[in-house]
Amino acid sequence: MTDQPIIAIRDLHKSYGPAKVLRGCSLSIARGEVVVVCGPSGSGKSTLIKCINGLEGYQSGSILVDGIEVGAKGSDLPKLRARIGMVFQHFELYPHMSVLNNIALAQVHVLKRTRAVAHERARELLTRVGLQDKADAIPADLSGGQQQRVAIARALALDPQAILFDEPTSALDPEMIHEVLQVMTELASSGMTMVVVTHEMGFARSVADRIVFMDAGEIVEDASSDAFFTTPRTQRAAEFLSKILAH
Amino acid sequence: MPDVILKNLPFLLHGLWLTVELSAWSIVLGTLLGLLVGTIRFVRVPVLNVLAAIYVEFIRGTPLLVVLFITYFALPALFGYRTTAYRAAIFGFVLFIAAYLAEDFRAGLRAVRPTLIQAGLATGLTRWQVLRHIILPQAIRRVLPSLFNQYVRLIKFTSVASVIGVTELTGAGLLINARDFHPVKILATIAIVYLVVCSALSLAGRALYAQFGVRT
Repeated sequence: MTDQPIIAIRDLHKSYGPAKVLRGCSLSIARGEVVVVCGPSGSGKSTLIKCINGLEGYQSGSILVDGIEVGAKGSDLPKLRARIGMVFQHFELYPHMSVLNNIALAQVHVLKRTRAVAHERARELLTRVGLQDKADAIPADLSGGQQQRVAIARALALDPQAILFDEPTSALDPEMIHEVLQVMTELASSGMTMVVVTHEMGFARSVADRIVFMDAGEIVEDASSDAFFTTPRTQRAAEFLSKILAH
Repeated sequence: MPDVILKNLPFLLHGLWLTVELSAWSIVLGTLLGLLVGTIRFVRVPVLNVLAAIYVEFIRGTPLLVVLFITYFALPALFGYRTTAYRAAIFGFVLFIAAYLAEDFRAGLRAVRPTLIQAGLATGLTRWQVLRHIILPQAIRRVLPSLFNQYVRLIKFTSVASVIGVTELTGAGLLINARDFHPVKILATIAIVYLVVCSALSLAGRALYAQFGVRT
């Protein structure tokens, strides 16, 4: 069933105590789609994508990933997570391991690949992100941009059906943002399903199929990239755009 | 070297050997127990977590000498088993040092960033695998200096075993002194030997940390 969305979120509610973080979000993502989630900080973007792979729980609503309910009691979360890669704002590479082992760890322990196969795949992916000579380096010896490219390779190593990006360039120096966005753009054109929380509007405009605009825990707009940037339907989206595109 | 030391050298060397043996067993077994207890407290294993906390607090509030009396006199009497001063001493040192090591391990475990744990989980690793491959290796590397601090303290603590009749280095020195009475020469010699052994271990610890410490 390839026409079934890979990720289907319906009426999702989440709160931390009295603070409502998500108020009835619904979002459906098709295979091969690139969706950028944007909005002011505190609008619930990161929380929303962390719900997709079960890193955050939710109180009501439903998330189906490949037809499996994430929040259901019996769901095999590790198995589900292995099919959805994730890239974090602060890279989160394992600091005590070489770059190669960072990429191999889950291949060996989750997918049960042999170490040799995992290392071969890791080297292949390092070449793809332009870091073939860094296999034996440790994360602390890499620049932020390089670390994030390794993190992307780590996510790709599990052959995921989709990858979630949680502000992948927000912690980077300006001169390194480009190299990471380039890898992501290449990934998008290879047909990877991507959900990207980002403030990089240039990337959103040129790469995303759809833009989801969130504010105060709600999905305010869900539009094609062109429509969102040229004719935002809501006041809130228009204000956000004018602020973020002003400089 | 003073005559009194030369004359008693084999006996003193045997005492030193016992000190090294006591320390080595206590360090190895104490580290394993400490790691187990620290991990139980970090993961908050139900029931065991409470027992672990009580154990740590009990040991930290009890003098080492009393712990040795407990493992030498009280526990054998209570549970009806036979022990030797040597074994009771190791048992006591393990119980003693493990409580402190457990706290060091726990601190190291808690210092691992929660987002790093999320990153591991996000790749499909189970909680146990994340603990085993991501959290523990980092925590252990990070607390190496504190561990070796405790090990060096332990070496000096083993002298307390002389009180229950183990003729380790200090016990041997006290016996020789009781017979030949040269307190300054004998105690100075012993002090220097402890210093050398402790410094060596301390250096080894630093070398290990330089090799395996986590740079972030």
